[in-house]
Amino acid sequence: MRLPALALKDKAAVAQYWPQLQGHLALGLTLALVTLPQAVAFSVTLAGVPPHFGIYAAIWGVLFCSLLNPSRVFHGGPNTAMSATIGVTLLPLAPPFGAEYMGYALTLGLVAGLIQMAFYLVRPLGRMLDLISEPVINGMICGIGLFLIFKSITTFGGLPLNTEVEWPVWIAWQSLLAVLEIGNMQAIQVGLITLIACVVVQQFARLRKWAILIGIVAGTLYSEYLSATVGLENTLIEQIGNLASIGLVYPSLPLFNQEAMPDVIALVPGAVTLALLGLFQTVAAMRRMNRKVGGYTDSRKAIFSDAVSNCLLPFLSSLPTCASFNRMWLVNQLGIHSRIAIASSALWLLVLVLFLAPLIAVIPMPAMAAIIMLLGANMIQWEDIKPHFKDRREAVVFTASFLAVLLLDLFSAVLVGSVLAIAYSKWAQAHPNISLRGNVLKLRGNLYYGSLPVVESTFHGAIARTRDLIIDFSDCYYIDQEGIRWLAATKTKHKITFTDRRSGSERRQGERRVTGARKRIAGRRRDRPDRRQRSEF
Amino acid sequence: MSAQIAKLARVLVLLVVLGGLYVLAIHKHEQRETLRRADVALTPGCADKLARYGLVAGEHYQSPYVLAKDGVAAKLRGYTQPDVRAIQRGCNIIDDTQGHFARDTGLERWNSKRFIRGSHTSCDHCHQGIGDKQDAEGNRLKGSLSLAASWAMADMYDRFTGLLLPYELRQMQCYINSSNGYKPNISDDLIRDVTAYSRFLSAALDLKIGNHYDEQGVDEIAASATVKQGDDYIRGEALYKDKCQSCHGRQAVGTVADGRVIAPALAGPNAWNMQSRNYFYYVSTILPGFICRNMPLGQENTLSNQECRDIAYYISNLPRPAGDRQGPLIALQNQFLMAVMPPLMRLTESQTKDPAPAQHAAGAR
Repeated sequence: MRLPALALKDKAAVAQYWPQLQGHLALGLTLALVTLPQAVAFSVTLAGVPPHFGIYAAIWGVLFCSLLNPSRVFHGGPNTAMSATIGVTLLPLAPPFGAEYMGYALTLGLVAGLIQMAFYLVRPLGRMLDLISEPVINGMICGIGLFLIFKSITTFGGLPLNTEVEWPVWIAWQSLLAVLEIGNMQAIQVGLITLIACVVVQQFARLRKWAILIGIVAGTLYSEYLSATVGLENTLIEQIGNLASIGLVYPSLPLFNQEAMPDVIALVPGAVTLALLGLFQTVAAMRRMNRKVGGYTDSRKAIFSDAVSNCLLPFLSSLPTCASFNRMWLVNQLGIHSRIAIASSALWLLVLVLFLAPLIAVIPMPAMAAIIMLLGANMIQWEDIKPHFKDRREAVVFTASFLAVLLLDLFSAVLVGSVLAIAYSKWAQAHPNISLRGNVLKLRGNLYYGSLPVVESTFHGAIARTRDLIIDFSDCYYIDQEGIRWLAATKTKHKITFTDRRSGSERRQGERRVTGARKRIAGRRRDRPDRRQRSEF
Repeated sequence: MSAQIAKLARVLVLLVVLGGLYVLAIHKHEQRETLRRADVALTPGCADKLARYGLVAGEHYQSPYVLAKDGVAAKLRGYTQPDVRAIQRGCNIIDDTQGHFARDTGLERWNSKRFIRGSHTSCDHCHQGIGDKQDAEGNRLKGSLSLAASWAMADMYDRFTGLLLPYELRQMQCYINSSNGYKPNISDDLIRDVTAYSRFLSAALDLKIGNHYDEQGVDEIAASATVKQGDDYIRGEALYKDKCQSCHGRQAVGTVADGRVIAPALAGPNAWNMQSRNYFYYVSTILPGFICRNMPLGQENTLSNQECRDIAYYISNLPRPAGDRQGPLIALQNQFLMAVMPPLMRLTESQTKDPAPAQHAAGAR
């Protein structure tokens, strides 16, 4: 695709590119408008820093990521879990919104960025992030979707956010009761109008990509009508507010002086959590979304882009960035996959903040809450979940990580889901398929410390009944040192024969790989034979 | 075609659900509006208290308390009918949080129970004398957690976080102490009515904003205020058995008679949780301070500082609910402990030579 700027040279070219460009700009504007309230809310209510931290993350964070990350659906920017981690880490160190607190927030971001850089430089560390399986990611996505709906209920009802709370499901129920009992009826009306306008417009294929914008406009118009007739002082509907003072850029320095050092050391565990939380979400979200649109991006590139962005952002007074599930879902849903559209969202936001601040100031928060609820609902797609319920193991992993998001938090969802998934795959490996036909014991699978007891039990059962036992290794593709020692020991104690019934050329080929010319198939394995092809016999 | 119908049906279902919720919201709002307009049925304690303070709607308000104490008849701006009702509701909530005197608890106490764990807790347990504890001569008592004095210190800075805390948020601290996992929204009527009542008390007692009064908060007892023997829960247990057990019961799970709380639980499922500032392991100065100045009832200020710390230490060792932020695992562990420990303790105590006197066993439930 050519740059839209080049296309502006003559009118014919504009006409030619206009439909495409129009889509990109619509997506960019939608993303910008969706990011804006999230940026304000995350920085003020979760991280405990002024709103410009979130907005700079939504401008510069998104821009850096779209420039550095080759994925066509990647949307960075401020993130719920990361902002909450900042708040939780820094609260014991300094009072929120103070100069010291902001300095620590920047330091925390920088240290997290450096840790992420270590994940890029040390290859196995980065590779570990790939061990998050698809059911885990989908469980998290569904959990986050519900979580977004729950979180928006109070804002939807025009009530102040309750920040003292933890367990999302319980809170959702209580918030709903609170909205029904003491909610601001006019705010609820604004939210409902936005929601219904969005849902109705979404039903028309041609208008789909404008749906969210139309919803916001409808909600804003109604709220303006209320302000004109009843008066804002009576409706008390919260609005985004004037952000005109934010400006283009606001340089800052993380706090790293002598007196601050004990506190800086105290926030290192928080920084590790922050770094991991960001990378987990980035790698998981990117992999999931890339597969959905049929693309592929090396996760190392995403780690690199996150690490570099997070090392730069603390100098621009901004929150750290990582992938945003809900906004990437929006990109996917609107069907426009281009880094230009994503970069344009950052530029749109800059334009909005710089020139149109009075206009966006009147957008009511209940309307924004309605949009976020809709995003959350769209993240739960039965077509994506259904395949996981065909396999019991996947179903368990999916359910576990889904519940962990709702009951615990994102980080533990990753841990619980991944541990379960890895345990399942290890369990499968530890149970090789062993068959005994006549006096031939055939092994299919791995022979290693985990599977050895299983093999042993069959072997000793067989050796008691059969003489001249033959162990067939044709389908055994990996034997570890413990397995070799066991085989050697058994060979001396019992009368057994080992065979490998693969054809001679196959076997020789395997041997050549072990000893002969070392042709690298993939990855760096300097002087070691390629384990996947290795035959010990 | 059928796909389109399914799509249409989905949208219609969504619209119907949203519409239903909207209608429900309108109904709930109307219910609340009628409640706020209706006359308030005062609890006996509140009727007595508000009569003593001479609360009536009118152009001016004159405090009998100030008149009796200083001999000055200060005229204050009066209260409107809605103001009076808010104050009365606030008083009811403080006196009878669980709604034992209410016909319809959920409505009349405005769901205060929803946010409080267990069936014992009432604001009045700590904020004694319905939020303004006085002796027979009308002297307000030191460290008695007076709501009036607390209002006079409204909007002060929090000691721990350095944040400016409005009076509403400071009420939130009380909910954290005995929370059910969710605190009322900051704009809830519950918070507003209690604020109205506290503000009224403050004005009626002629307390001045920003001043510090002795009855404000707890007279905290730090370890440095003792002779530094070190705190000891073994001594605490002996003291508990001597001084507290006759009311609060052997396992400190409180005493209930005829559905009325005689003495609230200090441990177990009905007590404050592990993230409360009353929890000795979290803040070690507040509970001893409360005990010294307010307990045992009628013999206040008889215990020494060290004794109070020991008792508080002992009480905090008994199993109690986990705080909301401690996560489901610790909550589960504590539920288990609360279920298992009391019978286990009864069993071991029944095996010892000195069985509990009969009246104690009756109180222990």
